[in-house]
Amino acid sequence: MWKTTSDWGAHVEDAIKQMLPPCQIKCPINEDIQRTNVLISLLPENAEAAKDGIIQIGDYLYEKNPFFNICGYICGLCELECNYKTQGGAIRRRLLKRFLSDHYTDYLNQKEKMGNIRDREKVAIMGGGPGGLMCAYILSQRGYQTTIFEASNRLGGALWLIPEYRLPKDVLQTTLDNLVRIVGIDVRFDARIGENGLTLAQLKDDGYKAVFIAKGTPYPRVLTFGTEKVEGQDLSGVMYGLDFLYEVSHGNIEADYFNNKRVVVIGGGNVAFDAARTARRLGGEVTIVALEREDKSHQDGLPADEQEIRAAWEEGLKIICSRGVQKIMGEGGKFRKIECPRCTGVFDESGFNPQFDCDDCVEIEGDILIITIGQAADRVFLQREGLLDERGRLAVDPFTLQSLQNSNVFIGGDVRRVGFMVEAMKEGIEAADSIHRHLRGLHMRWGRKRDYEPMGLPDRTSYKQPTDVVWIPPEKRMHFQLFERGLTLKEAIEEAKRCLTCGPCLSCKACISIGFEKSLYAVEVDEERCSGCGACVYACNYDAARLIQRDDKLVSETDMFRCKSCGMCVAACPSEARTLVDDSTYDRIETTYSSLS
Amino acid sequence: MSGFEPKVVCFSCKFSWGYLADEASFSSKIKNWIPIICSGKVDAKHVVEAFNRGADGVLILGCPEGECHYQDGNYETKKRVRLLHKVLDSYGIEPERVRIELSLDPEGKRIPELVKSMSATIKKLGPVRQT
Repeated sequence: MWKTTSDWGAHVEDAIKQMLPPCQIKCPINEDIQRTNVLISLLPENAEAAKDGIIQIGDYLYEKNPFFNICGYICGLCELECNYKTQGGAIRRRLLKRFLSDHYTDYLNQKEKMGNIRDREKVAIMGGGPGGLMCAYILSQRGYQTTIFEASNRLGGALWLIPEYRLPKDVLQTTLDNLVRIVGIDVRFDARIGENGLTLAQLKDDGYKAVFIAKGTPYPRVLTFGTEKVEGQDLSGVMYGLDFLYEVSHGNIEADYFNNKRVVVIGGGNVAFDAARTARRLGGEVTIVALEREDKSHQDGLPADEQEIRAAWEEGLKIICSRGVQKIMGEGGKFRKIECPRCTGVFDESGFNPQFDCDDCVEIEGDILIITIGQAADRVFLQREGLLDERGRLAVDPFTLQSLQNSNVFIGGDVRRVGFMVEAMKEGIEAADSIHRHLRGLHMRWGRKRDYEPMGLPDRTSYKQPTDVVWIPPEKRMHFQLFERGLTLKEAIEEAKRCLTCGPCLSCKACISIGFEKSLYAVEVDEERCSGCGACVYACNYDAARLIQRDDKLVSETDMFRCKSCGMCVAACPSEARTLVDDSTYDRIETTYSSLS
Repeated sequence: MSGFEPKVVCFSCKFSWGYLADEASFSSKIKNWIPIICSGKVDAKHVVEAFNRGADGVLILGCPEGECHYQDGNYETKKRVRLLHKVLDSYGIEPERVRIELSLDPEGKRIPELVKSMSATIKKLGPVRQT
C-alpha cells in the first residue's frame, strides 16, 4: 500500500543500551510494537484498500516473529507495561495483532518462501514447540540446515493444549505448516529421542554439529502434600489436566463427556483455568481449588491471568481460594472427595513453600478430579545423556543456554523453565544466536547483554478510553468457538491511534519507512544565539530539550535518544538558535516562498 | 480588483491530511502546498515571512484535537495562530488571512477545496496592503 521510499529499510538498529517504549521492553522478544501501531493507525478505512497495508505490516512482523498472529490470541504481555495504563487503559495490542492475524493468517498459504540458501552446518532441534521452531526459523534464515525431531505427529508442542475457544486450531495449523515451508525446516515426526537409536551420539555421527533441546515438559506434576505424594491419584475419575487437554485437542473427548458430573480442578494457573473452562464446556459443574489467594496483587495471589479468572466467574465456575489438598478419597475404586486444609501462605523467602492450617479443613465432593498443578520435563532422558549436574539439576548456562556438560548441546524453553509461549520463543532465539556463535567460532557472550531504559509518559492533555473488548455472553459461549470478538478495521485504526508513541524514534521509524520523513534529523543548538530561556524545554513533550550550564551561561541541548525530530522546539525558539539538520522541509518552504513573487 | 488571484500557502500535517494520496500528483494540483510532519512545526516566523514574500493567505491543516502524533503540536499551533491574528492585525493583515483547521482527511480531497474557499474569502479582501 505504502510507497516504500526507503524499501522498508528503516529497521531498528540494535544498540547495546537502548531506550525503548515500555511495551517493547516487556515483550521478551522486544517486538517493534510502536512502529506497527503507527502503521495500523494510518491504514485506509476501506477494507479492500487496507489489505495491502495489513499484509505489509504482517510481513514486517513475521520477519522477526513468525508466531505474531498467534500472539494476537494468547499473549498480550506488552499491555502490562503500557504507559497508557495509568490514563484509562493500555493500548489493546493483543487485539491489534489479532486483527492483523484475521487478515494475515490465510495469506500465509500463499506467502512466498524466503530466499535463504541453506548450505551451512546441520543442526538438530529436539522438539517442535515454539522454542524449537523459533530456533530453527532463525538458523534456517542464517543458512543452517535445520531438522526438527518431534516426538509426536504434529508440530506446535504445548500450543495444542490451549483450548480452541482461545486459539482456533486452523490458525495454529496454518501457522505451523507455513512456518516450516516458508523458511525451509526439515521435520521428522514420531522421532522420540532415546528411541530407535536416536541419541546425541548418533546425531553427532549423522553429521549434526549442534543440538538444541527444547522438549518442553510433557509430564504432569503429581500432587504432593508437604514432601509426600498424595495417595489416590490412581483412582478412577482422577486425571491430570495436561493429559485431559491433550485428549481434548485430539478430539478424543465427546461433547457431553462431563454432563451431570461434578468436576473438581486443582490448580490456580492458566493451564488449570484452561482445563476448568474446557470441562465446563463439556457439561461439567466445575469447582476450582487453588492454593493461592483471590487477591491477584498479593504475592500469594492467583497466578492465572485476570481475564481467565473473570471469564471463569462469568461461565459459572466456582473458585475456592487458599485451599490445598492433603487427601484424595475414593469409594469402590472411584474418586469421591478431597480434603482441603486452609493454605496460610504460598511463598516465603525460600520460594514456593506452602503452609497449611490443618485444623481448618473442608471436604469437597465430586465425580471427577483434574490435577493441574504444573508440568515436568523428561528427566530420564536428560539423566541418561548426562545433561544434569550431580544434584540432579539441568547443567546449563542460563545466559547462552549452552550445556555445561556438552558444548555442542543447547537447552531452552519449558524444559529449562516453564513459561509463556513468547518466553520459549525468546529462548529459541537465544539458542540460535549461541549455536551460530559456537559454530562460527565467535565469542559466546560479547555484545549480547542489553540494557533497556523505558520511556515515560509524554506530556499530553487529553486521553481516550480503550476500545471495548467484546466477549460472547457466557450463556451463549458454552462451545469451542472463539469467545472473544476481534476488532473491526475501524476499531483497529482508532485503537492504534491511541498509542502515545512514547518510545524514541530510533526504535520505530514508521514515518521513515512510509516516506513521511527522510531521516531522523538531529537538532542542533547554536549556543551563541541560545539565551537559555527554556522555551524549548517547555515545548518538548518528551523531556529531550534540557538546559545545561555552559561556562557562565545557561544553554539548551537535546537528548537525541529522546528526540522525535518533530521540530516543535525549533518553532518555539525565540532566537532561532535551534535547527533541524538536513531537514528538507525548510527547503520546500523556501522554494514555495521564492515562487510567490 | 478583478483578475486578482490570491496566493494561499497551505501547510498540512502528514499524519492527518492526504497520507493516502499520491503526493506528487497532489503537488501539481495544489499550488503552494507544503506537507509537513506536524502542524506544530509551523513557526510564527514562517507565517510572517510568507506575507513578506508575497502570500495573501496562510492555511494550516493539523490533526484533530487530541490526536497529534507528537502529543500537542496542533494545539500549540492553534494557540500560535490566535496570537498571530492579533500581531498581524496591527500590521493591517486581516485575521481571515491566517486560518487553522484541525481535522482528518487521509485522502486529502478537502485540501484543494479548503484552499479554494480560503482564496474566495481573500479575493474579497484584496491583496495585502503594504504598510
